[in-house]
Amino acid sequence: MLKKRIDIAMAIIIFSAALLVARLWFLQIYSGDEYAKRAERNRIRIQDIAAPRGNILDRTGQSIIINRPRFNVVWNREDTPDQEEDELLKDVARILKEDISVLLDRIRAATENPRYMPIRLKEDVDWETLAAIENKKISLPGVSIEIIPSRDYRYGDFASHLIGYLGEISPAELKESRYATYLSGDQVGKQGVEKIFEEYLMGEKGRNYLEVDVRGFQQRQMQMQDPFPGNNLHLTLDIELQRAAEEAMTDKSGAVVAMEVNTGNLLVMCSTPQLPLQEFNGGRILTSAWNRLLNDPLNPLLNKTIQGQYPPGSTFKIVTALAAISEGVIKPDTTFFCSGSINFGNRRFGCWKKGGHGTVNFQRALIESCDVYFYTVGQKLGVDNIAKYATSLGLGRKTGIELEHEKGGLIPSTAWKRQRYKDKWHEGETLSVAIGQGYVSTTPLQLCRMTAAVVNGGTLYRPQMLRSITSPDGKTLKTFDPISEGRILGSATSLALIKEALVGVVNSAGGTAKVVKLPDILIGGKTGTAQVVRLSQVEGLGEKAIPYKYRDHAWFTSFAPAENPEIAVTVLVEHGQHGGSAAGPVARAVFKRYFELKNGKTTTENAPPPVAPDEKEE
Amino acid sequence: MLRFDRRLLLNFDWVLLGAVLVVALVGMINLYSSTHLYTNVGAPLYLKELTYYLMGAAIVLLIISIDYRVLLTLNYPLYILMILLLLFAIIFGRTISGAQRWINLGFFRLQPSEPAKLILMITLASYYYRKDSGKGFTLPDLAVPALLTGLPFVLIAKQPDLGTALLLGSIFVSMTLFVKLRRSTLATIVVGGLSIIPIAWKFLLKPYQRQRVETFFNPENDPLGTGYHIIQSKIAVGSGLIFGKGYTKGTQGQLDFLPERHTDFAFSVWAEEWGFLGAVLLILCYFFMILWGLNIAISARDKFGVLLAFGVVSLIFWQAFINLAMIMGLMPVVGVPLPLISYGGSSLLTNLAALGILMNIRMRRYQGTS
Repeated sequence: MLKKRIDIAMAIIIFSAALLVARLWFLQIYSGDEYAKRAERNRIRIQDIAAPRGNILDRTGQSIIINRPRFNVVWNREDTPDQEEDELLKDVARILKEDISVLLDRIRAATENPRYMPIRLKEDVDWETLAAIENKKISLPGVSIEIIPSRDYRYGDFASHLIGYLGEISPAELKESRYATYLSGDQVGKQGVEKIFEEYLMGEKGRNYLEVDVRGFQQRQMQMQDPFPGNNLHLTLDIELQRAAEEAMTDKSGAVVAMEVNTGNLLVMCSTPQLPLQEFNGGRILTSAWNRLLNDPLNPLLNKTIQGQYPPGSTFKIVTALAAISEGVIKPDTTFFCSGSINFGNRRFGCWKKGGHGTVNFQRALIESCDVYFYTVGQKLGVDNIAKYATSLGLGRKTGIELEHEKGGLIPSTAWKRQRYKDKWHEGETLSVAIGQGYVSTTPLQLCRMTAAVVNGGTLYRPQMLRSITSPDGKTLKTFDPISEGRILGSATSLALIKEALVGVVNSAGGTAKVVKLPDILIGGKTGTAQVVRLSQVEGLGEKAIPYKYRDHAWFTSFAPAENPEIAVTVLVEHGQHGGSAAGPVARAVFKRYFELKNGKTTTENAPPPVAPDEKEE
Repeated sequence: MLRFDRRLLLNFDWVLLGAVLVVALVGMINLYSSTHLYTNVGAPLYLKELTYYLMGAAIVLLIISIDYRVLLTLNYPLYILMILLLLFAIIFGRTISGAQRWINLGFFRLQPSEPAKLILMITLASYYYRKDSGKGFTLPDLAVPALLTGLPFVLIAKQPDLGTALLLGSIFVSMTLFVKLRRSTLATIVVGGLSIIPIAWKFLLKPYQRQRVETFFNPENDPLGTGYHIIQSKIAVGSGLIFGKGYTKGTQGQLDFLPERHTDFAFSVWAEEWGFLGAVLLILCYFFMILWGLNIAISARDKFGVLLAFGVVSLIFWQAFINLAMIMGLMPVVGVPLPLISYGGSSLLTNLAALGILMNIRMRRYQGTS
């Protein structure tokens, strides 16, 4: 009896042992590989290492921008026990000197991310905060420091519209195919060169395989895949010239563009006021700061070199002159009498010189910018002829520069007016067009390119700002050759005539831009004043009495050296009133620096000729 | 009574001692691996465990030097002491992970539910030995042992420590089935037992206990909550593969993914680091020791020895089976340690004492009932 019961017990025990062994076989052998994988996943965490971003250099190889590490405080939510979360966040907020609601906002914004992804609580913390976090690491499970390469804007807001800035990739950008390899939290170019050439600059992320314990603390590094730095961009920009332009534009709102006339390479792209990069703070600009920038009457958000559209004023006389000579409407020696105004229909069109220029030929008309002469010429040409030449000079359409949001400006024609206003063209409107007013509008970049084409023998180049791309180890990956967009209309003789007259603008008596004159270098150029409002609204007011926003824009577009032009410079000063005195000195500063650098010495600087208050030109 | 018979030494069960030492050695080796990274204050846990072993050796020596039949007179005082300790633990005990289980003795923190297993077993063995008329027990006969079991069961379940309470039940059922029952009684118990399960589910289990059982059937539903233990333990065991990850190289255990790795989940660490081969070897050793206990029961000189030896076997067996089944995901997570392998003084001393009783019975198998 006893034996039987012991046997039953033995059977039960042996059966149990067999059951356990079978279960072990199932777990360790039958599905062992699956569990082995899960154990790996348990302990290995893959951490992305941001790649150092490519450098941006000027045409001489100087860095415009460099990288520096940036320390972010991040929180790995999974590593904090739920019941400790509140306490932890309170502690962190105290260390970061932030209100807890700021942190909670950040966390809420990250709810769509997978839970294992760290949430950035604060970017770019200083050394003290860094040290405080590191010291308290033990009592702050899940909180850690993330190091990402970031830009150091060593020249402040230098060329900020052109270069742009970096920021955290937005949810909308993440959905775009060009950002397919990006993850939430990555830095990405938000504007300008940084954005457009993102694919060259970004490099390849590295990966760090870490063994972590159950609380996520790093135990050891398993394997590390180094990041591959981004490629370097060599711009056509010249730091020295850009700086000279920016200095000259201090306290002025407007734009400066300088271009190599024989390549289309841009040396200066300056728009003021600068984009305040500090405020953008890695793309996390405060709403208040954003609104202030948005409502600033000086429009700091606008890149005026390509987005500012202004009537070209008298600089447009270059177009009218070219059209007139080339079309044979006038000969170089054709003269007209300027009495100070001309009547057309029942309207009186005034010249900027109220007393009149007297009898002027073609050259004097350009040099002294006689409006009456060009009214007459324009009338003979007709608006469509002017439009034909303007279009051939690249006006009224985008230049095709590789920057976003470029504006095209406008060159009116009869066809345009019919289409746009369902109205016929009035002859009187042609007079305004002939002196660059009325419907005409251009960007500074367009005028600069036009000037380059007029003085380089007639080739229109596409403006470029990239010279080459090199790999981090110095290999040239890609170079950018000048892109010709064909010849402009107009004979070589007419171009030579115009060039000669433009040199006179700066150098001859009665020229409107004598203030620009440099001792050693022969400069040519054309001033312009763009009316912002109809003359009648400010008639009778003294210059100073006109409200800022009603003051005329000042233009100066120019080139040098006259004998064999190398560089074209176009300056726009918003509400600067006088092309010669407001915009001229800016161009002069750029030329001066350019030739100083080129000739390896400072040009003998004589005091600039005394600035006689120019009569107001129109 | 302390007169030492030379024959006792001759009849000493070296096989059992050998098996115990092998298992204990495995336990110590494994304990070192699972705790050497701990940064607790005081002595390392494996050294503490070693002192418990020395205390245990003294207790074993004491036990084997006294004839086990003395337990027939000691069992009720022991039983009363046990009930008092359990009451004391409930009223004054230290709370650890939601249950009041500990009594602080200064040098030692006693978990009275551990010796309670052994004392209940001795009590039941004594009762059945005394009352056995050879005709089989009837249902009314079982009222007293049921009450004797029920009292500590309720006290321990109240702590709450479902695992140990379950273990008491298992011991009671095993021993009761082992003594002769009438067929009608057996049938009644089976039917009654089955019908009580839904009632117990609804009224006796605490919500967290019900949750544990529910989680067991669906651990992936709650991977960070109560299902976590089961998932991590299965990953640890499964990822050990055939040969294991190597001593102290188990990632699940060493990196803390495995909870309670030196106590209830010690076997997971072993299976992870030594693989299928190591795990099977330990199970074979272990179950050899248990089966050897049955051999001792058969060869005991009297009915009390048989019952007592069988009680020890069921005590060790149920703890081992419940623990291993839980680790391998065959049972809900209940806090039952693996004797000699899981760290813990109360458990070790209790189980060594039980094994000492086995040795005692074996040594005295040829002595006449004087």
